[in-house]
Amino acid sequence: MRVALFVTCLVDVMRPSIGFAAMRLLESAGCEVVVPKSQTCCGQPAWSAGEAVAAQALAKKNIVDLAGFDYVVLPSASCAEHIKNAYPELLASELEWAEKATELSKRTYELTSFLVDVLKLAVVPGCFKGSVTYHDSCKGLRKLGIKQQPRKLLAAMPGVFLKELEESEECCGFGGAFSANFGEVSTVIVDRKCSFIAAAGVDAVLGGDLGCLLNIEGRLRRRGDQTKVLHIAEILATEEGF
Amino acid sequence: MESQALFFRERAAEKACDPRVQKTLQHVRPLFVGKRKKGMQDLAELGMDFDKLQQSAQKIRDRVVKNLDVWLELFEAQAQATGAEVLWARDGAEVARLVVELAQENGVKKVVKSKSMLSEEADLNAALAAAGVESIETDLGEYIVQIAGEAPSHIIAPAVHKTKEEVADLFVQHHGLPRQNDITALAREARGVLRQHFLSADMGISGANFLVAETGSAVLVTNEGNGRMVTTLPRLHVVVAGIEKIIPNLEDLATLLRLLPRSATGQGISNYVSILTGRPPLEANASGVEGPQRMVFILVDNGRAGLLGTEFDSMLRCIRCGACMNHCPVYNSIGGHAYGWVYPGPMGSVLTPLYTSLKDAQDLPQATTGCNQCAAVCPVGIPLPELMRALRRRAVETGLRPWSERLAYKLWAWAATHPVFYRWGVRRAVRYLKWLAGGEEYIRVLGMAPGWTFGRDLKAPLGKSFQEMWADRKG
Repeated sequence: MRVALFVTCLVDVMRPSIGFAAMRLLESAGCEVVVPKSQTCCGQPAWSAGEAVAAQALAKKNIVDLAGFDYVVLPSASCAEHIKNAYPELLASELEWAEKATELSKRTYELTSFLVDVLKLAVVPGCFKGSVTYHDSCKGLRKLGIKQQPRKLLAAMPGVFLKELEESEECCGFGGAFSANFGEVSTVIVDRKCSFIAAAGVDAVLGGDLGCLLNIEGRLRRRGDQTKVLHIAEILATEEGF
Repeated sequence: MESQALFFRERAAEKACDPRVQKTLQHVRPLFVGKRKKGMQDLAELGMDFDKLQQSAQKIRDRVVKNLDVWLELFEAQAQATGAEVLWARDGAEVARLVVELAQENGVKKVVKSKSMLSEEADLNAALAAAGVESIETDLGEYIVQIAGEAPSHIIAPAVHKTKEEVADLFVQHHGLPRQNDITALAREARGVLRQHFLSADMGISGANFLVAETGSAVLVTNEGNGRMVTTLPRLHVVVAGIEKIIPNLEDLATLLRLLPRSATGQGISNYVSILTGRPPLEANASGVEGPQRMVFILVDNGRAGLLGTEFDSMLRCIRCGACMNHCPVYNSIGGHAYGWVYPGPMGSVLTPLYTSLKDAQDLPQATTGCNQCAAVCPVGIPLPELMRALRRRAVETGLRPWSERLAYKLWAWAATHPVFYRWGVRRAVRYLKWLAGGEEYIRVLGMAPGWTFGRDLKAPLGKSFQEMWADRKG
């Protein structure tokens, strides 16, 4: 099974370890993992800003780059959702592209959803020991139905104790450009999230989208809170501690 | 009401940094969310499914929206057949003119009103005051904001931004009675004051939650009982309602009533549901007949017809329950006043640009995290995040966005479609960010995005991109 790993632009720049963790997980499950060298960004920032022409250009580029793989997997529900839902919509008026977009949509998965729903993975290489809590990111939860998948994977780690986060389904306030354009408002939202994380009193807070994690970690540190902030792939794949 | 949406960005920041506003918002938020959740649990226990009801409700609303002209004519004919009058208003100014004319023709000195957001659109209280007619808001929350000289901050809880201490202060100032400190006593005091107004008013003005085409009736969904007083005691009853409020028949009303109160306050049904229909003119000296002698509908466009047949027509399904704002992280961080016009929250971020001006209100649809919570709770399935994005797209395509932002996206898109150049740029960016952290783990001030570091640090990258590290590993 040939799987293209689309690491996402944010992981490429800000935290490559997530990309390697995702690769390790996929390989441990028996996939042949390919990292298309030409990958850049899924185009969501443009679509979100209303820049349809730019978003269409990125969609077409990625449709070409990601052709021929059995599956395309991303360690981000937000980017996966963009490819799955927005590409067909963006290219709806160009019949040939629309068909390709729909075809790509069907074989594109967020990482935990791919591991659980497609690969039925029951054993993971990670051996983290400690208490964790989980933030459900919005696009994964409300658009892709990702809720139990990360929890099932964590349950396969005997050293991990999952304590559910109060308001875990509420937005962290990231929202891409929103967090920079409306910094004060975004801070209020993420501060509430951080209060619940502090109240959970765990060793680490986990999530499936680096955008949310950068936002949460940034606020936690500003509050003087040193709770670890990790991507679910990192904890599932890493044998050493953090 | 004149829109202040142009100042949204500044106001939002101000409200986000105001500890008093924050305290109230953080207190109120779980109440609304919890009540709706309970309402939905009750629905499930009764064997009803939210998703199925939502689909039915959406169908009912779409059926009207797709053929609005036909339904409006049907409603007009039915209302007239029962003895009510039907007037039409193109915009807020026409609403104000029609109401003032009715008041003057009928020698009206005092008007009592039950809550109507449309009357806020038309700035009706100001127009009546200018014509020398006293108008009293009788919904408790709306009464509070009226005597405070403010606008509602929420469509179903207009004074939700006020603490009970602030209300107590206002009542002392306006009623001249001894200060009351608990909510029940304050409500009782307002009730006493309002009762005198109900008994002495010449005209009652209400909105309508729905207009039933089959019977020519207005439906009012209320909790305080003031709606009944307003619509039955004065000799003249005027209903001011948007043209999109029509529903086909009473059976459809039953479906929508399962969703409206539950979505708004979690109630299985509101304390009062009134179905108000006109009647033939009375004989002179008729005795023993109660209720208003005249019922007049004013059906208002004020921008609504402009949405028909466009990608925004699903917005006309809205039944004004307030669930979208109650569940919105942005609304819950800034409150309703920041939005600057009649409607706050996600529905306001769509309606304000469409009904006033996208140019002046273009920041509203930008203020979203895309969390999709509003769409998930909307009882009539309005895709609010998609509509906000469509407005952002329209802003780009009509040249409303700053040239610097457009250029930035163009350059970025060019780079992202030219991988060799892109990787070169990423290498530079990663090193720059690492340098910015100055040997620390976190960046404290980010000059190119100061909004980010306003309340957050940014974890610095390692100094190499994933692509570089992957190339190194492969050798």
